[in-house]
Amino acid sequence: MTGLADVAVERRGKAVVARLSGEIDMTNASYVGGELVRSVPNEASGLVVDLTETRYLDSAGIELLFELARRLRRRRQELRLVLPPSSPLRRVLLLTEMHSVAPLDDELDSALAHL
Amino acid sequence: MRARQGEAVAAFGQRALAGMGMEQLLAEAVRIVGEELRVDIVNVLRLEPDGDTLTMRAARGWRDEWLGQGIPSVSAGTLAGYVLRSQRPVVAEDLRREVRFRSSRVLERAGVVSAMAAPITGPERPYGVLGAHSLRPHHFSVDETHFLQAVANVIGAAVERDRVETLLRDSEARFRELADTTPALMWTTDPGGRVTFVNQGWLRFTGRTLEEEQGDTFAMSAHPDDRAELREAWRRAMASQEEFRVEYRLRSATGRYRWVLEVGVPRYVGGEFAGFVGTATDIHERRSMEDVLRESEARFRELADSAPVMIWTTDEHGRVTFVNRGWLEFTGTTLQDELGDTWALGVHPDDVPGLLTSWAAALVKAEPWEREYRLRRRDGEYRWVLDQGVPRFEAGSLIGYAGTATEIHERKTMEDRRLRVYEQEHRIAETLQRSMLPEKLPEIEGLELAARYLPAGTETAIGGDWYDAMELPDGRVALVVGDVVGHGLRAAAIMGQLRTASRAYAQVEPSPVEVVARLNRLITGGEDEGMATVLYLVLDRDNGKVTFTSAGHPPPLVLEPDGPRFLEGGRSVPVGAADPAVFRQGEDTIAPGSTLLLYTDGLIERRDVPLERRLAQLAEAAGAAGGELSELCGQLVSAVLGRSEPGDDVALLAVRARPIRSPVLELTLPAEPEALSTLRRRLGRFFHALGAADHEVYELTLTVCEAAGNAIEHAYGPEDASFDVRVTVAAGEVRAEVRDRGRWRDPRGEARGRGLRIIEGLMDEVDLAIEPGGTVVRMRRRLSVSAAA
Repeated sequence: MTGLADVAVERRGKAVVARLSGEIDMTNASYVGGELVRSVPNEASGLVVDLTETRYLDSAGIELLFELARRLRRRRQELRLVLPPSSPLRRVLLLTEMHSVAPLDDELDSALAHL
Repeated sequence: MRARQGEAVAAFGQRALAGMGMEQLLAEAVRIVGEELRVDIVNVLRLEPDGDTLTMRAARGWRDEWLGQGIPSVSAGTLAGYVLRSQRPVVAEDLRREVRFRSSRVLERAGVVSAMAAPITGPERPYGVLGAHSLRPHHFSVDETHFLQAVANVIGAAVERDRVETLLRDSEARFRELADTTPALMWTTDPGGRVTFVNQGWLRFTGRTLEEEQGDTFAMSAHPDDRAELREAWRRAMASQEEFRVEYRLRSATGRYRWVLEVGVPRYVGGEFAGFVGTATDIHERRSMEDVLRESEARFRELADSAPVMIWTTDEHGRVTFVNRGWLEFTGTTLQDELGDTWALGVHPDDVPGLLTSWAAALVKAEPWEREYRLRRRDGEYRWVLDQGVPRFEAGSLIGYAGTATEIHERKTMEDRRLRVYEQEHRIAETLQRSMLPEKLPEIEGLELAARYLPAGTETAIGGDWYDAMELPDGRVALVVGDVVGHGLRAAAIMGQLRTASRAYAQVEPSPVEVVARLNRLITGGEDEGMATVLYLVLDRDNGKVTFTSAGHPPPLVLEPDGPRFLEGGRSVPVGAADPAVFRQGEDTIAPGSTLLLYTDGLIERRDVPLERRLAQLAEAAGAAGGELSELCGQLVSAVLGRSEPGDDVALLAVRARPIRSPVLELTLPAEPEALSTLRRRLGRFFHALGAADHEVYELTLTVCEAAGNAIEHAYGPEDASFDVRVTVAAGEVRAEVRDRGRWRDPRGEARGRGLRIIEGLMDEVDLAIEPGGTVVRMRRRLSVSAAA
C-alpha cells in the first residue's frame, strides 16, 4: 500500500494475476515494480498484470512494466497486460510500443488462455 | 543490555515522549549511540515513500567529504536493504568478508570495517535504519545489539506519534475552517481536555480572544453555582470518552449569564482518541420560562391553601339566598347587595352572556353547573374564578343550588403563559435549527453550491432537517442531507448532534457507509432515543464518481445533459432504527456538467399521491427548471410545492461543477515528485470542466505531468525549488507551458526517453527552449470537436 496505488495478487492455475488499481507515477513506481517482481514464483508460467482499475500510469510506470517484461523473459516467463478497449491508457501504451514486449488483451480470460 | 545503556535508553525515551522535535530527537539518538557504543560513525537513514531511496537524516562522525556520494538504495542490495528486509538488527564484523549483502561504496570510502544496523519501524511501512559503524575491527555483543534496537524503537515510537500529531493538526485546521462558518458556539479540546479551539461564534458570545480561551479553561466562564456540576459532567466524560450534555449558565460578553445547553462528542483521529468537540446552544429563554412556571406553580399552591372559600346558595328559581363571609371579603360587597337575581354582579362584561346562558340551561334541567369567569375583586381587579354548583332536592323536587367559587387566576394565567412558552420553544427550535445550517455554504473550488431551507407551516412544530457540504482531506467533497424524525426542540438538538458528528467523522473516514454507521452508533448509544434519515454522498470532482449511503432517505436526483435520473443504490435503514445495523453503499458516475440535487422528503411529501408518482413529478419539475443554480432551486421549490406552505420542513442542496469562466490554469508547485498528484487533480478538473472527452483529459494531463516530471528530475539539485504550469484554451486549442528555473541535465536512461516520446506522441506540437531563466516546454494540441464547441 502506498496510498496512490494498490497491488492485489492472485494465483490462477499456473499463472499469477496482479491487479493494479489506482495511480502509478515516479513516487511509487519502484515500489509497485518490486511488489510485482516478488509476486511471481519460479514455477509460474507467467504474469498477467490487469490494468482495468489503473487510473493513471506515467512514463515511470511504463518503464517498470518494460523492466518487468525483461526480468520475466530472462526467467522464460511471459508478461501479458489486460486493458479494456475503452481505457484511456491504451494510446499511451501503444505509443511506447509496450505491446512489443507484453501483449495486450481486452479481458483477463483471454490473457489467461494465452499463458 | 548493560545497566548504563539501559538507563541511557530510558532517559532518551522519556525525553522523546516529552515532545522533542524530530530533528533534535535524531541528533540525540546518534549522539547516545556514539557515546555508549564508542563507535566512529552513527547514522539514521530514512526510507523514502518509493520504498527504495534512502536519505541520510542524522549522522555522527560522518565526514563532509563523504557527503553527496549518494546512499545506495534498497534495491542495490546493501546492508540497509538487508536490515529492512529482515526486520531485525544485523551485525557484520568484517564488511570485506560479508556474503549476505553487497558492500556499499560509501561505507568502503569511509573505511568502515565493522558495521551494525537496526531497523526503525514506522506506522505503515518501515521508517528506516539506524547504523553504528567502526573503522577498526569491532566485536558487537548481544547487549550492544539490543541497545541499538532499543534506541531504534524509541525513534519508531516518536515517528508514530509525530504522524498522529500531523494528522491531528491537518484535520484540526480543516475543522476550524468549517467551524468558523457556523454561527453556533463550538469548541474542541485535546486528549488531555485542554481547550485547543473555540470558533468565532463562541468568541462573539464571550467577548474574549482565542488565546484567552485556550488551555485549561473548561468551566472558566460558567456561573459559579453551575461550575461543580459542569466539571463533574466533564470529568465523567473524559474518563469514559463518552458523549455528555449539560445545561449551565455561561458568561456573555456583557457580563450577564445566559443558559446554554452544551453537548460534547469524543473525536477520533486515525483511530485514536483526540479529545472532544462540543457545541453550546443558547437556551436562555426556555430556561427562564421554565423558572417562571415553577415559581408561579408554587405560588398557586400557597394561595389555594390560604384562600377563603367562597360559598353561595340559591332557591329553586336560581335567586341567590346566601353568600358566605369569604365571598363578601373577596368582592367587597355586602350580603344585601348579593341577594336576589344578582348573577351578573361583579362579573366581567365579556363573560356575562356566557355565564347567564349556561346557568339558565343548568337550572332548567336541574343539573350540576360549572363555569370559569372573571369576577371583580374588592380592589377592582378582575380575577378568574371557577364556580361550581350542585342542585339540592327535597322529596324529589329541586329546592335550590349550593355552590363554591375558587379563585383560579394564577393557574389560568399560567396556562396562558405555558402556551406562550410553547410558542417560544418553537421559535427557539427554529433559531437553533437555522444556526445549525451553514451561514453561507463553503467555497469549494470547481463547484457551485446553492441551498434552500423552508420551515414548515406555523401550525406544525419545527422539524430537524439539515444540509451540509465540505471538502475532505483526500480532495473529494462530502454532501449531506438529513431529516430527524419528530419535531420540536428535541429533534433540533439531535439534528445538531448528527450534523456536528458527521462533520467530524467526515474528516477521518473516507467511506460514506462508515460515516453513516458511526452516526448510527452515536445515536443508538446516546441517552436520547432518536431516528433520522440521512443521505451522505461523496463526490470526486476529477471524474464525477459518487459514492453514497442512503439511510432511509429519498434518492438523490442528478440532472445530466441527457435528462434527470435518480441515483439508486446504497439503500439502508434510517440511522437510529437498529443497532447493529447493516448499511450499504452505492456507486455511480455522473456526467460532466451535471447538477446534483439532494433534498429531504418535505419536498416530495403529499399523502394522497404514491411515492413513485411524487418522485416522477420532482424529476419532471427539475428537468424543466434551469438557469443559475440558486434560481433553479427556487423554481424547483415553487414548481413542486406551489404557493402553499410546506407540510413538513424542506431542505434542498444543489451542486454543480462550475463552468470555467477564464479558461486559464496557472500553478506554481514545489519541484518534488509528491507535487505530481496535486498537479494531476488540478489538470483533470480543468480539462473535464472544458468538456473534453475522457481520453483527451487523460492524455493532456499525462503530457503536462511528464513535462513536469522532467523539471522535477533534471532541472535542480536536491535543494528546494519550484516549477510553473500554465494552461490556456483558445479557439479549440490547448496550450500548455511547463517552466522551471534550472537547467536540464541530459535526460538519462530510457525512462525519460519514453517520457519525451509520450509528450511528442500525444501533442500536436512540442517545443523545448532553454532560456536565461530556465527551461520551458511549450505544447499545443487541438481539442476534439465536442470539447471545442
